[in-house]
Amino acid sequence: MIEKFVPIVGEDAVDSVFKIAEKLRGISVLHVNSTPKGGGVAEILSKLVPLMREVGINAEWKVIRGDEEFFKVTKSFHNALQNGTGQLQGNSFETYKKWQEINLSELPLDYDVVFIHDPQPAGLVTQRKKGKWIWRCHIDISNPFPPVWEFLRGYVERYDSVIVSSPVFGRDDLSVPQFVIPPSIDPLSVKNKEISRFTVERILRKFGLDLDRPIVTQVSRFDRAKDPVGVIRAFAGMKKHVDGQLVYLGSPATDDPEGEEVYKETLKAAEGIKDVHLLLLPPDSDLEVNAFQRGADVVMQKSIKEGFGLTVSEALWKGKPVIGGNTGGIPLQVIHGHTGFLVSTPEEATHYLIYLLRNRDIRERMGKMGREHVRNNFLTIRELRDYLMTILLTKGRT
Amino acid sequence: MVMSLLDSRAKHPFEFQAAYYPPIYAGIKAHTLGELMEGIKRVDGYSIFYHVFHPVFSSHVVPYDLHNDFAVWIRDELHDNSLAYLVSDVEGREPRTVEQVRESLLEVLRRGSPELKGGKPFLFLTCRPVVYDTGRRAWTLGEFIDILSEISMRSVVYHLVFGRAMGYSPRNDFSSWLLQEFNAVSLADRISSIDPQTYVEEERLREDLLDAIEEEIYRD
Repeated sequence: MIEKFVPIVGEDAVDSVFKIAEKLRGISVLHVNSTPKGGGVAEILSKLVPLMREVGINAEWKVIRGDEEFFKVTKSFHNALQNGTGQLQGNSFETYKKWQEINLSELPLDYDVVFIHDPQPAGLVTQRKKGKWIWRCHIDISNPFPPVWEFLRGYVERYDSVIVSSPVFGRDDLSVPQFVIPPSIDPLSVKNKEISRFTVERILRKFGLDLDRPIVTQVSRFDRAKDPVGVIRAFAGMKKHVDGQLVYLGSPATDDPEGEEVYKETLKAAEGIKDVHLLLLPPDSDLEVNAFQRGADVVMQKSIKEGFGLTVSEALWKGKPVIGGNTGGIPLQVIHGHTGFLVSTPEEATHYLIYLLRNRDIRERMGKMGREHVRNNFLTIRELRDYLMTILLTKGRT
Repeated sequence: MVMSLLDSRAKHPFEFQAAYYPPIYAGIKAHTLGELMEGIKRVDGYSIFYHVFHPVFSSHVVPYDLHNDFAVWIRDELHDNSLAYLVSDVEGREPRTVEQVRESLLEVLRRGSPELKGGKPFLFLTCRPVVYDTGRRAWTLGEFIDILSEISMRSVVYHLVFGRAMGYSPRNDFSSWLLQEFNAVSLADRISSIDPQTYVEEERLREDLLDAIEEEIYRD
């Protein structure tokens, strides 16, 4: 499988991964997260774990268990860490600790290296025995709600190292090394591989899109951090000038109980606005995502808060300019004026939607630059190499 | 002058290693020019290497007209263009090390106003090299040129810049090998004269390096 990256990134880049992996041959690595499907983390792990095995690492992936109350608590942690404010129920910390204990009694954690992804399973570190433990944080922790961060920090300080997705998320109050590893997309996956124009058109038609009019797409969960209502407002502003269509494509994740509520809010905001397509598709609708990104003239990721926003790289890889929120990892991908535009308000997004939809040559030029930017920085092979190097440096083996 | 050496066999081959430099947050943010200067004083040498020399890689995005991260921040966030250009053009040529570059940066920055405040902070990163053996070996000057023209720039930068800039050796690895194996003084000096700090496109550096070698070999 890994050889298939050679035509995409070149032989040297692939060769470097094998050479670096040689130093780690045979070690056991465990990844732990909180959901097997839906959302960026599960998607990254579904690619990364098989690739690690292919280069000689004994990699495994396990998912923690929890009830509805636990996932409500972790969702409130997630929001509090990303938004800087929060309302915690009295027993949140106890619920969190209880499920760490339950999972500790069920999960074998005897590995040379353990990667714990995000806050949900972070508390497992209390029972670490051997090996190196690395906390991989996929979300924005630059301005967290202090009570939640202080609670979490107590766990994080017990790790050997931490990985954040962007330098912006680096913390000054941690004593452990903080590696900066942006996540990545898999160019060989159903979601990102080349597909024919006929497949794109078939899918767009299936969902009622008019192929003769411009299409604006945002692919993300129905989550307030992704600002779906702001997307509707930006589109409504654009619609006064350009007769386009909006596709907002979301998929539910098992660890996101707020999704349905936000979907209803978005539906209400879209009332009376023509050509808005709000689609809630199953998490494995990768071909549809691919088609809607390729079928778009402009892709949006108008997040207010973002861990990284991998959908930006997905769109750039397909040669589409992206209008992205100026937050989290988006500025690493959207280089303002080169691969797209960074915005902070729906009005700014409206402005750049009109500009891009009226200028095909600008869209194409930005699309080309975006694809190269992703090739250099945001493909799976780079992330795999970064993980291997983090293991090496954490184990002190360089 | 050294054309006759093209096919001479060295006693010891040039062993092409290569390296990546995974970034690590250094735990320091600068909101003002003064804080930037304090940060530059405090960070380790790897951090200076990362912000000043690492932008040669195409994966490290900086605008084409500025050569290092400090210059980009000064222009984009502090909006002091003239200071940004001075910082951009700080000399990184051999035999200067990151410590001398650090001093030069501070000397230039003292011309600015320490209170000058930016919108977004400058985030100091550091790094540690992860080195691997490419398996490629050059026994002759001819083989050396052939390999240099196609090997990963991760290898070229590692040998041309890293060890020398970090102060591990006074000369770049290429020049040291050419001197040791062939006593090719003028060729070694010519390679040493290239300032990698002023490159933001890795293939441009390769091209200039090979052009310089060709010029020296085929001179007269």
